[in-house]
Amino acid sequence: MQPAKTPRPRRVRTTSRSVRAAERVARTLISVGGIGTIAAVVLILVFLVSVVQPLASATSLEKPSLLPGSPKGEQPLRVGTDEYGLIGWALRSNGQLEYRDLASGAELERVDLTRGGIPPAASSAWAGGEFALAYPDGSLCLGRADFATSFLDHDKAPESLRALAVGEHAPHGRGRAQRIAAEQWRVQEPSTGQRPIVQLPVGADDPIAVVEATRTTKGFRVAWLTQSGRLSVGVLEERENPMTAELEVEISTFAAPAPTGATPPQRLVLTGLGDSLLACWEDGRALRYDLRRLDDIEISEEVDLLPEPSARISALELLIGRGTLVVGGTDGSLTCWFRIRPPLSSTRDGTRLMPVHALVASGPAITSLAASERSRILVSGTQDGELRVHYVPTNEERASVRPFESAAGPVMALALAPKEDAVLAYGRDSVARLALDVGHPDGSARALFTPLWYEDYSGPEHVWQSSSGSDDFEPKLGLVPLVFGTLKATLFSLLFGVPIALLAAIFTSEFLSPAWRTPIKSAIEMMASLPSVVLGFLAALIFAPFVQNWLPSVLALFFCLPLCLLAGAYLWQFLPARTAIRASGMPRLLAVAACLPFAAVMALSTGPLVERICFGGDATGWLNGSVGSGFPGWFWMLLPLSSALAIFAAAHFGGTWLRRRSASWSRRRCAGFDLLRFVALGLGGAALAALFAALLHAGGLDPRGSVVDTYVQRNALVVGFVMGFTVIPIIYTLAEDALSSVPQALRLASLGAGATPWQTAMRIVVPTAGSGLFSAIMVGLGRAVGETMIVLMATGNTPVMEWNVFNGFRTLSANIAVELPEAARDSTHYRTLFLAALTLFAITFVVNTLAEVVRQRFRKRSYQL
Amino acid sequence: MQHPPVLTPEPGAPSQAPATVYKRAAARGAVFQAIQSGASFATVTHAAVAGEEAVLDIRGFDLWYGASRALWSVAMRVPRGKVTALIGPSGCGKSTLLRSVNRLNDLIDGVRVDGDMLLNGDSIYGSGVDVIELRKRIGMVFQKPNPFPMSIFENVVYSLRIDGERDRRVLEEVCEQSLVGAGLWEEVKDRLQDSALRLSGGQQQRLCIARAIAAEPEVLLLDEPCSALDPIATGRIEDLIEELKGSYSILIVTHNMQQASRTSDYTAFMYLGRLVEYGPTRDIFLNPQLAETEDYVSGRFG
Ligand SMILES: Nc1ncnc2c1ncn2[C@@H]1O[C@H](COP(=O)(O)OP(=O)(O)O)[C@@H](O)[C@H]1O
Ligand SMILES: [Mg+2]
Repeated sequence: MQPAKTPRPRRVRTTSRSVRAAERVARTLISVGGIGTIAAVVLILVFLVSVVQPLASATSLEKPSLLPGSPKGEQPLRVGTDEYGLIGWALRSNGQLEYRDLASGAELERVDLTRGGIPPAASSAWAGGEFALAYPDGSLCLGRADFATSFLDHDKAPESLRALAVGEHAPHGRGRAQRIAAEQWRVQEPSTGQRPIVQLPVGADDPIAVVEATRTTKGFRVAWLTQSGRLSVGVLEERENPMTAELEVEISTFAAPAPTGATPPQRLVLTGLGDSLLACWEDGRALRYDLRRLDDIEISEEVDLLPEPSARISALELLIGRGTLVVGGTDGSLTCWFRIRPPLSSTRDGTRLMPVHALVASGPAITSLAASERSRILVSGTQDGELRVHYVPTNEERASVRPFESAAGPVMALALAPKEDAVLAYGRDSVARLALDVGHPDGSARALFTPLWYEDYSGPEHVWQSSSGSDDFEPKLGLVPLVFGTLKATLFSLLFGVPIALLAAIFTSEFLSPAWRTPIKSAIEMMASLPSVVLGFLAALIFAPFVQNWLPSVLALFFCLPLCLLAGAYLWQFLPARTAIRASGMPRLLAVAACLPFAAVMALSTGPLVERICFGGDATGWLNGSVGSGFPGWFWMLLPLSSALAIFAAAHFGGTWLRRRSASWSRRRCAGFDLLRFVALGLGGAALAALFAALLHAGGLDPRGSVVDTYVQRNALVVGFVMGFTVIPIIYTLAEDALSSVPQALRLASLGAGATPWQTAMRIVVPTAGSGLFSAIMVGLGRAVGETMIVLMATGNTPVMEWNVFNGFRTLSANIAVELPEAARDSTHYRTLFLAALTLFAITFVVNTLAEVVRQRFRKRSYQL
Repeated sequence: MQHPPVLTPEPGAPSQAPATVYKRAAARGAVFQAIQSGASFATVTHAAVAGEEAVLDIRGFDLWYGASRALWSVAMRVPRGKVTALIGPSGCGKSTLLRSVNRLNDLIDGVRVDGDMLLNGDSIYGSGVDVIELRKRIGMVFQKPNPFPMSIFENVVYSLRIDGERDRRVLEEVCEQSLVGAGLWEEVKDRLQDSALRLSGGQQQRLCIARAIAAEPEVLLLDEPCSALDPIATGRIEDLIEELKGSYSILIVTHNMQQASRTSDYTAFMYLGRLVEYGPTRDIFLNPQLAETEDYVSGRFG
């Protein structure tokens, strides 16, 4: 008998305190971590947006403040302000230069520039306060309305200044002082610079009527016109006398052909560094002189600056760099002209002055213009008292205002403070000071994303060129070439990486025994751990020179490798059935591997041969367009496509028939026939390619200039190869996962129905895993888009927009890496780089989200199976 | 595996004289004990089987999964145009035997076989056999319906597609014939282009049968085709097997004794990788020669 069981006391099950505590801690940590990550991403995004956002802000002109005690009088020759917009000056044609406190309106200083009471007969003034005054006797005074800056510390500052808050200013001495820090004051005082008087070689009976001057690297270049219509150009070279330490000026004079016309021209304009001279008449007619050879000055062309017949030129101004001439007319038109180099030009210097930007078409007469000294901002004033701020490259009117209360007449003169933070407008009986905030006109959506017509370009283009050596450089912040470069890098790396990665994934998941799968998968994933800087380094220093030296062979490999593999496959069929089946495992793999060196040898020998036969022995030269015709290029480019076409056509129009016929043939006979067919199709493809190539060639098309063109050592081909190495492991891993998650039952069903493993892979596994493969490619794409080091090191970073495989490009990411360290904080350039980062972020975000969405869908579907 | 079943004496022994070396009552359990102890043992094959022409002749077939042996010299002649059922407790090697016929076991790492099978006289495991060609001659339907994620039409004509058939007329004709043969035509004829995944489980399984018979196989292997289906769908599949009898040689694995007795002409009872008894279904169910078979078919263990 069994002993009577005493019921065991029921164990009390409780969760211990420590387990609960651990649970709570883990939960908290995980939520903090998760929320923290999301918050970090959001914060980064917010930061990027906050840096970029000011690019969209408008240019603003604040309410004008009218200066008390403004001078009444005629239109000044030129007006200006000091660097801080505290003191203004006006140069009048009577030879008076007056400085005025812009807060109080009080006159601070008046400089008499007459020669013993005789006012200048002609004058010219240009940016930076520089002027040239010519007197009737032919003497020339070169000078500058300038300021002396000094600093005061606590001990030197008088009581009145100590009461100022930082930023405030007050009159001090002959000028104005501003407290710039706790114990520091800056004093600005007028200080007119005058150079020694120069005597121009003009006769006393033929006084100067018009003068124009500009600064050159060594001194000045001056052009003058006498009343009798004689035009001369003088070169002033300044040298310091080593004995006396005095400035000596040497002048050499050159005669120019007299301007032809009923009346002498009213204006002379020297453009650039004085290599071109314009003689302008009031009605818009202008003659352009070529001054590059001063002993042989010639008239290059005649242009009409004002097409409207009745209109008169009412304002002329040169933008920074003196390359762009702005013409304002009495018809209200405001047009920017610069010289471009058209393909066929009859002028001696090959250039032509063209109206490029029509800022204003018509309206009240333009009465005054002022160009910025640091950018292509232009301020214009009209007859009816309106003041407008333009940004020339984008042809935008950024702001407009009427500075004078009531319709007080024209804006007679304008000055833009050197820092672009204030505008000074001279009206008929008052002067207005307007605080200006230009914002980022060179970073507007239009500037960043539309083609702009920059100076020296022959048409509107997308250009990225953010900096250069010279001060008068025009920044070109077109993001499109960078986006293009990013897409090009992505495209070429995916073209190379995707097929390899997908085939490798199919191979491991469908053809490899499970025992081999894990080690091989890990090995390929190891590739991802190669630092991209190492890859970039290899690409730039080893791979790029190699490809350049062996270009024909490298290109030949693209043809030899598939050819060898196909030929190998056809030859394999000649093996007796028994042997073929026995050798279907490792031996076959080895045979495939043996095709690689064979193809390499073949490429090495055929590459130079093909180069000699088709490309005149100089593939790079052919690419440059210096040798050969387009035909062989078309032939080789079309060969893969036409072969595919030939194969497709053959399969479509005789495949079934052939299959029925060959069913009864012996294996050997089939193999022989297959090989023959392979050769025939290859030849057919070649013939087709030759036919297409001949047609295209006859049609006048040349492949050079499209995807193939001039060879540059660091190019998209090299980057495609090397970047393939970074995208292959990612795509491979994800694709392999997607393929192996296809239910085994499907594979068994297909194989059980007598499908080959390849048929099973292509017809069942790949379509079933399709969305997973797609998302793998998308993730790889995201990786390629963001890749920096390789493209930085191996592309040459030229922001060109062409599909040429053999040329470089610049990607968004590489551009950020290169330029951000040098960009001035908060400058347009800086913010634009952040916009580039944001664009990059957006692209990767969209791509990854797309990948994830598709992946989720795929997961749902694979549950269904 | 299981403990030796506790057996009770059976009243009313059948009248026929047993044709085997084992005496029914006395040897009850002896066969299982012999198998479990690894002793050699001979399959009891009824004489009626010998009279049939074999479409598939399994000759002393052994199979190892790595070190563990799953089939022990199975010898069995599957008659042409008949339905042969494989029964036996879980894990006795029925599926393994079935998968060995179309060599799907080749895909599993570490599988080793000995012996051979002949399909209409052609060796299956011979050294020069093209497995792909072999599989084209055999149809298989799995336990769980596994239609391909494509249209009904493409599912049915899959075997023709992989053989390179492009003629639309041929494809449509075969599709209709196969679906009619699988008793699915009326239900799906208007939505042949719909995804096969939208069919019900029973329909999917009949689609898989249609897919298998579209290739006009010499043998049709069914591995528990109804075990994932509800009773009504099961009934339809059983009817279908009934209809296919004659035109196809069918080897079906089933767990369901009633199904075996209802649908099959011959039944083979397997146990721990051995073929124990093989004979006409009537005999196996009503008059088995081994007590173990009787115990199994009458549900006393398994
Ligand atoms: N892929 C495999 N690897 C290793 N052992 C297996 C595998 N498939 C089945 N087996 C073993 O072989 C034996 C027979 O299995 P199986 O043929 O599936 O049995 P049944 O279909 O009769 O239920 C079982 O013991 C099982 O564990
Ligand atoms: Mg089973």
